[in-house]
Amino acid sequence: MVFSSLTFLFLYLPLTLLAYFLSPLKWRNCILLLVSLLFYGWGEPVYIVIMFVSIGIDYTHGLLVEKYRSNDKKARWFVAQSVIFNLALLFFFKYGTFFAENLYALTGILIPKSVELLGVTIPLWGVPLPIGISFYTFQTMSYTIDVYRKDAPVQRNMVEFGTFVTMFPQLIAGPIVQYKTVAADLRHRVHTSENFALGARRFCVGLAKKVLLANSIGALWEDCLAAQGAGTLTVLGGWLGLAAYGFQIYFDFSGYSDMAIGMGRMLGFRFLENFDHPYCADSVGAFWRRWHMSLTDWFRDYLYIPLGGNRGGTARTIRNLIIVWFCTGFWHGASWNFVLWGLYFAAWLILERYVLRSVLEKTPKVLKHVYTLIVVFVGWGLFAMVDLSVCGDYLATCFGGGPLWSAADGFRLRSYAVTLVALVLASTSLGQRLWARLPRRTEALFTPVLMGLSLVVCTAYLVDGSYNPFLYFRF
Amino acid sequence: MSKRYARFLTAVFCLFLGGLMVWQFLLPDRERSDVENRTLQQRPVLTLSGVLDGSYMEDVESYVQDQFPLRDQWTGLKARTEQLIGKRLFNNIYLCEGETLIYKVDEPADGLEETNLHYVTQLAGNTDIPVYLGLIPSAAEVWRDKLPEGAASWDQNAYLQQAADTGLPMIDFSAALTAHASEAIFYRTDHHWTSLGAFYGANALLEALGREPLKEEDFTPETASTDFNGTLYSQSGIHWLTPDTMEYWVEEDGLTVTSWRTGSPEPGQLYDRSYLAQKDKYSSFLGGNQPLCVIRNENARDGGKLLLIRDSYSDSLAPFLAQSFEEVHLLDLRYFRMPPAQYAAENGIDEICVVYSVPNFITDRNLVFLAQ
Repeated sequence: MVFSSLTFLFLYLPLTLLAYFLSPLKWRNCILLLVSLLFYGWGEPVYIVIMFVSIGIDYTHGLLVEKYRSNDKKARWFVAQSVIFNLALLFFFKYGTFFAENLYALTGILIPKSVELLGVTIPLWGVPLPIGISFYTFQTMSYTIDVYRKDAPVQRNMVEFGTFVTMFPQLIAGPIVQYKTVAADLRHRVHTSENFALGARRFCVGLAKKVLLANSIGALWEDCLAAQGAGTLTVLGGWLGLAAYGFQIYFDFSGYSDMAIGMGRMLGFRFLENFDHPYCADSVGAFWRRWHMSLTDWFRDYLYIPLGGNRGGTARTIRNLIIVWFCTGFWHGASWNFVLWGLYFAAWLILERYVLRSVLEKTPKVLKHVYTLIVVFVGWGLFAMVDLSVCGDYLATCFGGGPLWSAADGFRLRSYAVTLVALVLASTSLGQRLWARLPRRTEALFTPVLMGLSLVVCTAYLVDGSYNPFLYFRF
Repeated sequence: MSKRYARFLTAVFCLFLGGLMVWQFLLPDRERSDVENRTLQQRPVLTLSGVLDGSYMEDVESYVQDQFPLRDQWTGLKARTEQLIGKRLFNNIYLCEGETLIYKVDEPADGLEETNLHYVTQLAGNTDIPVYLGLIPSAAEVWRDKLPEGAASWDQNAYLQQAADTGLPMIDFSAALTAHASEAIFYRTDHHWTSLGAFYGANALLEALGREPLKEEDFTPETASTDFNGTLYSQSGIHWLTPDTMEYWVEEDGLTVTSWRTGSPEPGQLYDRSYLAQKDKYSSFLGGNQPLCVIRNENARDGGKLLLIRDSYSDSLAPFLAQSFEEVHLLDLRYFRMPPAQYAAENGIDEICVVYSVPNFITDRNLVFLAQ
């Protein structure tokens, strides 16, 4: 069930809020755990089992780390166990097929899809991906590490811990909520009408971003990709397509994060922000400090810095950057193009750090933005096209391997002019700054009107429902 | 934010979501949607097996979608919004000048367009009866100048040339329709040709078979409906155009229709007027899709037996052909599984015409049965 579906909006969410707010305070974590499990099991009920196992193991390991705190060797061993368990879970479900297929392609060794053991069929690879597994394995992994590092208090209440792991607003598409940021809220949180209203407002913004902007511009990307297949793509069409995809993925993902943060707020939680106008960044490094921040932070805190960060000299720093960005790319999907995409950014970050820094310092601001956008949007090309030969042909067209423009581009531009203007405005902080300058009375009037309008128009688009894929389901 | 204002915003949000939920719950379930031409999901029954295999959850999702209050109005609102922001393509349908909807034909991706031509040549090789191929270009080609500027649609003329290169004798529907492109030869809200378009099509077919054309003045069109909203109306969500007018040209007197809907012959109708009271009015021609249908005319002008391998365009075409032929057989490959060559031989057919609209021909997976 995705947030931008009629079932979620007009069945699950109202009933969930009703059950939550009608129950007494001390029951609310329990209610939240139950409805979250329902949410998770909705698409694939069997996978609730994984959830229980995951909660059980990480909960126990947190306690064990705490218990053996005086014996550092033992404590470390329990941390390692938890990390290994989570990575194994991720590896089996997400990367099993990728490795089996590549092993076969490289060596000709074919791993059977399943084995019979004592009359039970045990699958080895090719199992469907449990939704959100990339997100919650990272969350629970960081919990045990934080307990060891004394960055987070140990959780002794299993219901509270289960609530943290399964919490439906952030369960399937992030942000990656670290335990330490919600530990206090789990135990005691304030439910006020102001929190609910702010959360509802945020939710409406996110819904509109996802349904009206991301879905809509996604069709332009599909159109350009199809034009590439038909051999009619032009240079203009190629860049239009990349921009469309870049906008689609940003508004899709950040819209989802907004909805998550909004719903968290309604329920009394404060999640950290996940995006900060990434397309306004003036360097590739700055882009990654503004894009999917909960993931960038996670890799920094739990991989880059433990590897030694940038404190071991140039060669070590470069090695660490490559490892981190290989993993970041691979996290996004079990396919070579994602690895390439990660390494592509590693290359630019290394280049910026050691070569371009002095050049960029002297470059006018506008050019720095243009440079960043080109690097990022070409990156989206690598990200979007799993088939590397299609990707190569497409990018070749963008860089002059085709006519400059055609009548079809005119049709595209006219069809999407309003949407594109809205996307550009919404990508910058301009809208927010203008909003902040509104007189308070005007703002008080606009807020409910816009909220209502967003809900009505989004409902119309969802009922029409012809085009509602959710990009981040693959991860 | 004052407490009162926060409560007000909370109320706006909760009343919208909760209100629609309650509304849907109280609303009686609809059996089917005429606009979408399908039955709707009814309230699913909770069973353990349904939950375990996930079918219960899928049914709930379909149920919420299908029974959503004011479903058609929401779709209309979306189309209006899209029009407002400059969109001209609605679920693969172009909104064109003159209140006309035209279905966009996409580039075929699976090579079916070549395979299907090959199957027709195989049929011609399997039988001694002459086989003609007639491909009807859709409005997206004949009315290309009505499309929004720069709007893409696959080049059907190039494909017709490719079809002609097979060496099969061709029925030139394209020339006949293009010559009359300024007239109402296609419906504006449906993907079929009008009776006028079918009349020009019939003459193209008769000409290809070396027969005299029909004369327009011999017909007195009867207005069957002025309230026809076709398939393009449904699919696009554009519900604000003037409905189409549907005409019957050929008189029913003297024609005997036999339908094989259930495997055995039953009396049929040239025009099943019960469809005129429904959404799907085009199906009133011969009563819509069926495995096999035969029209007999004892007073036919020229005589002879014709086998049409059909799609739905033939339903409004066949009445015209029955003016010339003693028997017109319409065979639908989707439902009728006897090899067409065998059927033609057993029934004393004189000529076989494979007549399809181009969009159907390049996507239909049943033409393989021609080659049997």
